[in-house]
Amino acid sequence: MAINLEKISAILQNFVSSTNDVQGAALVTPDGLPLAATLPGGMDEERVSAMSAAMLSLGERIGGELARGSIDRIYVEGNTGYGILTSCSEDAVFLVLASQAAKQGLLLLEIKRAVTELKTLLQ
Amino acid sequence: MEIMRLVVTGPVGAGKSTFIRTISEIEVVDTDRRATDETADLKSSTTVAFDFGRLQFGPDTALHLYGTPGQARFDFMWDILIRKAHAYIMLVAAHRPHEFRYSRRMLAFMRQRSDAPVILGLTHMDLDKAWSQKDILLALGYVKGSQQPPVIVVNPTDQQSTTRAILTLVQYYFTILQAAPHPQVYEASQPCS
Repeated sequence: MAINLEKISAILQNFVSSTNDVQGAALVTPDGLPLAATLPGGMDEERVSAMSAAMLSLGERIGGELARGSIDRIYVEGNTGYGILTSCSEDAVFLVLASQAAKQGLLLLEIKRAVTELKTLLQ
Repeated sequence: MEIMRLVVTGPVGAGKSTFIRTISEIEVVDTDRRATDETADLKSSTTVAFDFGRLQFGPDTALHLYGTPGQARFDFMWDILIRKAHAYIMLVAAHRPHEFRYSRRMLAFMRQRSDAPVILGLTHMDLDKAWSQKDILLALGYVKGSQQPPVIVVNPTDQQSTTRAILTLVQYYFTILQAAPHPQVYEASQPCS
């Protein structure tokens, strides 16, 4: 069955607009190509995708070689916000950009929900 | 222990990852992912962050080898890696002339960010469709009178061939360093703390 891109885009848009303090989200392939994205203006989809893939691959490398096991997520915490990468099935990586004000617990819960939803569409 | 950082760059499928795998004496840190773009026509997996290999070079020098991704969407990795490089080798597949223009752009990208010495490594020279060295240099924009980097034919799968390429690169680095001790090159030659 073909991947329902419209539905994926809708989930991303919904996620960004309905979750507090989330500024953007993208679903990308592990080799760094965009599948769908809702990003703040001025961010290039291609670059964001490539960076997400590079980061996740290094994280997974650390997980493997430094015996941290399989990687659930990678956290980038800056002084103005977060970038959170979550592995979403074998074929996709989910990136979320959130502001500093975001409540982490809530954010992770919402990400988990979105990932579950996205996974079913990627099968 | 002095550490010298060498970068292996070039378009997709030139042989960067293979090169590092062949010459590294440690198990290479690779970040290969299944290719889903036009890269998939060439090979099944592609580097998405960098390859890292290491080679002991004399009693008190270690070579750290970094391989870049080939696709332009990873140019932030090119940027990160090239700024720290002491010298770099640009691998070009001689039998894929449509990539020469891309290689030229890549070279320009690197040159804008780094004064580090560069050599050209021509791969796939044994194939029928391979261009001659002279023509490739022309295609890469090295016209008569412009200063040409050293050129070497490399087989990335061959231990001896890759070793020769690395030796050439290291020698060229020291030649340049002695000829014109550029402050930036000097600064970069210190091992990173």
